[in-house]
Amino acid sequence: MESLYGLLGGFSALANPETLLYMVGGFLIGTLFGAVPGLTSVLAIALLLPLTYSLDVTTALVACASIFMAGMCSGSITATTINIPGAPASMMTALEGYPMQQRGEGAKALGHAALGSMIGGSVGALLLMVLSPLAADVALLIRTPGKFSLIAFALVVIIISQRGSITKGMVATLLGVMVATIGIDVVQPVARFTFGSSVLVQGIDMMPLIIGTFAISELLIQADSRSARTVDPSKLQAAKVRRRDFIPPLSEVREIGILRYLKSALIGYSVGILPGAGGSMAAFVSYAESMRSSKHPERYGKGHPEGIASAECANNSMCGGAFVPMLTFGIPGDPTTAIVLGVLVINGLQPGPQFMTQQLDLIAPMFAALFVSALILVPLTLFLLGPYFLKIVSIRRDVLYSSIAVVALVGSYVATYSTFQMALALVFGVLAYFLRKQKYPTVCLLLGFVLGPSLEEYCRRALSINDGSPMVFLTSPDSLFFIALTAVFFYFMVIRKPGEKTLNTTSG
Amino acid sequence: MSPKRLSLGGGFYVPAVLAIITLVYLLSAIQLGPPMKEGNMTPSFFPITAALLMLIALVCVMTQEVRRARSKGVEKSDDEAGAEDADQVSKSIGGISFGAIRVVVLTALYLLAFDLIGYFVSTFLYVLMLMFQFGSGSVQKWPMKLIATLIITGAGFLMFEVFFQVRLPTLWS
Repeated sequence: MESLYGLLGGFSALANPETLLYMVGGFLIGTLFGAVPGLTSVLAIALLLPLTYSLDVTTALVACASIFMAGMCSGSITATTINIPGAPASMMTALEGYPMQQRGEGAKALGHAALGSMIGGSVGALLLMVLSPLAADVALLIRTPGKFSLIAFALVVIIISQRGSITKGMVATLLGVMVATIGIDVVQPVARFTFGSSVLVQGIDMMPLIIGTFAISELLIQADSRSARTVDPSKLQAAKVRRRDFIPPLSEVREIGILRYLKSALIGYSVGILPGAGGSMAAFVSYAESMRSSKHPERYGKGHPEGIASAECANNSMCGGAFVPMLTFGIPGDPTTAIVLGVLVINGLQPGPQFMTQQLDLIAPMFAALFVSALILVPLTLFLLGPYFLKIVSIRRDVLYSSIAVVALVGSYVATYSTFQMALALVFGVLAYFLRKQKYPTVCLLLGFVLGPSLEEYCRRALSINDGSPMVFLTSPDSLFFIALTAVFFYFMVIRKPGEKTLNTTSG
Repeated sequence: MSPKRLSLGGGFYVPAVLAIITLVYLLSAIQLGPPMKEGNMTPSFFPITAALLMLIALVCVMTQEVRRARSKGVEKSDDEAGAEDADQVSKSIGGISFGAIRVVVLTALYLLAFDLIGYFVSTFLYVLMLMFQFGSGSVQKWPMKLIATLIITGAGFLMFEVFFQVRLPTLWS
């Protein structure tokens, strides 16, 4: 009952004008960053991170949640209208949305995408509110060896979910782990890898790594393009769209069926809980399942609203699921929740099993923001801004990237009032640029950096309380469970390589 | 017939550079002391393990890259490879494009100037340079770019100094 009141309190916190302003502002920024090809909601949240030093933690979390939700659904705008997914999670939407656009039903496709996002996002947020306390109770049962095996499981899944580049995923993750070892040792007061520099004794802060990896590297990648705008205006030969065109016909919604919406939302939420999976995998799994169980699988790939609904429903529901491991175990499974973890750490908060009960007043507004963003802001934004979407996403690149550069670099300065952090952001930016050019997943770099210290700490603590015997990882039931789970995931994701055949079929 | 050589690009050289960095890291980790002491892990255990795994992964990536280059039949005569190399050099140096190099240099100069001459002047100049880098390259629209630069610099100041109360460096501060 206390939890229920706490959660309801989260909704009332949104009534605070400042919090509401950040939620709506965050949603609009997330929509812009999600819709513009090349920008992502992760970049938007990364740019927000330095500002959280000055912001109230609840306000910052609310803004992060609304950016996350907006970024996940707004990728469908350019996916549908110009066949360029604004975010990777909208790739499946492009398969169905663009054919609809070509036959003059683009607005309706966006309507289906918004409806799917609305239902999926709301269900995901509700499941998060209901199931997180249960997950927290389970998390209390996990002891030190189990925590090590759980983090190892997360890292292994993050690496093996990098389809076609597992070794590159491993390199990026280990690079992150190595960067995280710079500074004072996690157990003993010993400085490591400082190379005589006093500024490195405190270790590498998460912020320059995030800013460098997601903002500076993007600037360097974009520096090659000579086009004046983010989207070529010649592609925007949009016919006049009326607001009522965005409302999907009830007959089509009935044909999709509430069960399909709910199933897609459940798939998205479950995929979200998995480390490293993310919105694109949620959309893909849900789309594939929807096509398998559809009465009309032959319509898929030719502009079928069912495909849009299932993909968008799942990728927005994923947002709720992604917060579960981060809040209950302190293990972020994707870059957005890793940055949200950074917001919490900056404010002296450490997520864990008791975090939900002890800090519910801080977290509840974020849950509420996820729910309200999905239920109200997604359809409202489409209705109000829908007719202008194409103009909005075609931004002057010089203005956009110069602004991003200033926010990113000056933002790096905020943490310590030192240009050293700015220089570190540039160094990580150049590193991430090379990694991205060679198709190394930079998300793994961030997650390795975030999870590495905990992995080392739990490993060493588990061994020290068991006289250095590694058998503790096999004799402890919780640890054994996660080791077995790792083996299961490894078997199904690497040895059997699921979905490759389906992926080739659908993408072809 | 001129001798043939394997054409390896950034796919090989990036992990090779990472391998050198990892070796330096590994040597530094070894200097921390033995990885195990009295049955317990020491501060060097985890870095040594991570470095060794990293080296194995990098060797795998480099081997894959060599195999890929071979299987693709990218073997070319010295002349052909030389011509291609010259073409590559015109677009990039060491796998980093000229555009990216310009942004890195501008950013490095901005960081130097930031503390020395303060936020306003350094940011104004940095943004103005970036406006030309990220624009269509046309200098005809410079009045618009100048106005946009002033707005971005002012908006940055407003956001950080006024809204978020961050004390930004100023000239003679």
